[in-house]
Amino acid sequence: MVNVGATDPQTGPPEPAAAPTSTSGPPAERRKGRSAPELAALLLVLVALVIFFWLRSPYFMTQDNILNVLTAIAVTGIIAVPGTMLLIAGQVDLSVGSGAAFCGVLMATTAQNHAIFIGVLVAVAAGIVIGLINGVLVTVFRVNALIATLGMLAVLRGLTEVRANGGTVLLANFSGLGTARPFLSIPVPVLLLIGIVALAALVMRHTVFGRSLYATGSNPVAARLVGVRGSKMIVVAFVLSGLGVALSGLILDSQLSAASPNAATGLELTVVTAIVLGGASLSGGRGTIQGTVVGLLIIGVLNNGLTLLNVNSFYQEVASGALLILAVSFDQLRLRLAKV
Amino acid sequence: MSSLIEDSVSAAFTLRARSIRKSFGGTEVLHGVDVDILGGRVLALLGENGAGKSTFVRVIAGAHAPDSGTLEFQRSDGTAESVAALDPIAARRRGIRMIFQELSDAPDLTVAENISLGNWPSRTGMVTWRGMRRRARRVLANMGVDLDLDAVVGELRIGERQIVEIARALSDQATCLILDEPTAALSAEEVERLFAFVRRLRDQGVALVYITHRLDEVAAIADDVVVLRDGVVSASGPAGEFDRSQLVSAMVGREIGAVTRPPATSNSAGPPMLVFRGASSPRAFQDVNLEVRAGEIVCLYGKVGSGTAEVADAVFGRRRLSVGTMKVLDGAPAKDPRAAIAHGIGYLAADRQREGALMTRTIGENLAAPSWPRLSRGGVISGTRERRAYERWSRALNIRAAAGAGQLLGSLSGGNQQKVLLARWLERGSKVLALVEPTRGVDVGARADIYAALRDMAADGAAILVATSDYEEVVQLADRAIVLARGRVTRELRGDEITTETLTDAAGG
Repeated sequence: MVNVGATDPQTGPPEPAAAPTSTSGPPAERRKGRSAPELAALLLVLVALVIFFWLRSPYFMTQDNILNVLTAIAVTGIIAVPGTMLLIAGQVDLSVGSGAAFCGVLMATTAQNHAIFIGVLVAVAAGIVIGLINGVLVTVFRVNALIATLGMLAVLRGLTEVRANGGTVLLANFSGLGTARPFLSIPVPVLLLIGIVALAALVMRHTVFGRSLYATGSNPVAARLVGVRGSKMIVVAFVLSGLGVALSGLILDSQLSAASPNAATGLELTVVTAIVLGGASLSGGRGTIQGTVVGLLIIGVLNNGLTLLNVNSFYQEVASGALLILAVSFDQLRLRLAKV
Repeated sequence: MSSLIEDSVSAAFTLRARSIRKSFGGTEVLHGVDVDILGGRVLALLGENGAGKSTFVRVIAGAHAPDSGTLEFQRSDGTAESVAALDPIAARRRGIRMIFQELSDAPDLTVAENISLGNWPSRTGMVTWRGMRRRARRVLANMGVDLDLDAVVGELRIGERQIVEIARALSDQATCLILDEPTAALSAEEVERLFAFVRRLRDQGVALVYITHRLDEVAAIADDVVVLRDGVVSASGPAGEFDRSQLVSAMVGREIGAVTRPPATSNSAGPPMLVFRGASSPRAFQDVNLEVRAGEIVCLYGKVGSGTAEVADAVFGRRRLSVGTMKVLDGAPAKDPRAAIAHGIGYLAADRQREGALMTRTIGENLAAPSWPRLSRGGVISGTRERRAYERWSRALNIRAAAGAGQLLGSLSGGNQQKVLLARWLERGSKVLALVEPTRGVDVGARADIYAALRDMAADGAAILVATSDYEEVVQLADRAIVLARGRVTRELRGDEITTETLTDAAGG
């Protein structure tokens, strides 16, 4: 019994690969979708949260409160934007929280004996050096980024305490950066965040640097074989993260007119949550700056809304931890669906 | 000789899969497939990439639940059982084992430990090491293999690791063994050995399902053939009733001729673009002399591990020479791939997934990546330029992507992915190409497109070096062929001397 069901040559060859639906098999359909639908789903979550809190609290949708939310996420956001670039390249920086405290304390203690701008310079230089060290550890010494920056987290927190002598360092005449409202009564940190987001989104979309980060995160070996200098790109991304950390440290100083060695404790948790929630993958190669912005907004709205509803702040901590786990679960689910 | 394998003969395995349908995310991959799997016979399952072979056997092995259809088992006592789906444990209980294409062993453990992996012989919850060794020795003896039980598996050759995996599958009552392209990474000798096991198992009554791309293996091993195309059975019957061209047309849906030499080209008089003189690289190749001229396709043929891939790696700056010289386009060897690209060299790695493709990025980005320095202005690159690059080459290479340049590379079939990776070097204008296994895992149709593109590139003056372990590829592609065995050139062939016989002969047993 022979049963050859080949297509009649007269009718011409079928078009097996004409569409990914026919020959490329199961992974095709799911992977075809870019981040757009996911971003839409996230936006839906954000809108739902906004509506929920708006209905529960009349104060929620006032201009003052909206600016509160934005100011609250500004410091996190200025770190999360370069953090997104890092995660896209397959790396992560956990030292951001203690880095911000370190830069803040360094600035405040320097300003006690020198001019303010020298303090600022020292803090920015420290941010760059922290980024360089992290980058070199990861690319040259090949220490896993999670471990390298976890170690750096502890090192920097310790150095901060040493530098501050365990106490808060007061800082006068530096409140402009954190609290001035030069435009439409929007605070400076929020304006900075908007500028950084716009710039980073353009860089990731339209520059060779952005493409190279995506390529390196997607497949480091393949990226090297098409001439991408992955290690160099990763070091640059870590330095950008260090710059974000320094800027955030300065903003915190300015907002409080003081530098606390305990500032920004656990900030890395919020940063990573926002990034992963925004669709960047822990395995690299995927994610957008826009997504991270939505992730930030979700976290900001949730924290603010829960406060307005008088939910105990300890529960808020539970919520943010749960959110991180949820975000990573979605990431894993996404990867699994893409593979099958 | 009593053994676990012998025990399995008592129950002749019969599985009739009927009207199996399976969809993923709205795309139906199997449109009602009927296949009979019988004990004591080897069933070759053929089809191009994406035809549904892997999905089908995963349904049998319980890894996927079908959307509809039935799996009818015949028991030895004459009773029948019909199930709608299996889970991995249920499939295992019925004696179904699958050897995946990728190794799934534990490379840090020994041979004996790997054979009992997941099914350790134990007494009161404690693993009995002696039992483990006894089992391993028995299974290997039954397979007629001599392997050191205490060897660490990660240090074995690929072929031996595959044998360990098969031994694990056979260590407890396997009645149906599914092998998914088991010979892709094996040498000719290892393939022969594998075929010997397969026959031996068949004679012991095991049902074997053998997935393959290679038609010559069908004649060598199969009793029955099923060809899948686009999720339906396009041909089935005893293997003896099909000849090669019938199988090919059942696979691709059109006539494709036998393996023939292309008409000789006249444009092989260009200047030498790539020259090796007495080149050696430790543990890879020794004293290699070769020359590739502009307009020429030279194939380096040898079995996996013979050093062909390493020669290509050296051209692209991935490997250094310890002795001898290499000249590419009148220049010294590139120190790394980035320098090689700048120097006008293009490269395809053997392992497309791991070393070639940026799966999560778009086709446009994948294609343009080596050309980014040229396509950008002050570090800024426009999507339009990338799209144009794609449009320039998609027609020439017959790349089929529904959504064009913006589609993710990972959503394409293997053949189309490979075309995109080859287009990289067309866009880059590379004058020397070093390609390792350029059509591995690529279906017949796409293979023809790739060969045509390579010919066009050669006609335009490119010098192309192809390192391959597929002799049919050499016959169809090479202007000249250089055969390597254990890192040394054993023979150089040109024109009509290049036949499957001369090639396999020169590559050594």
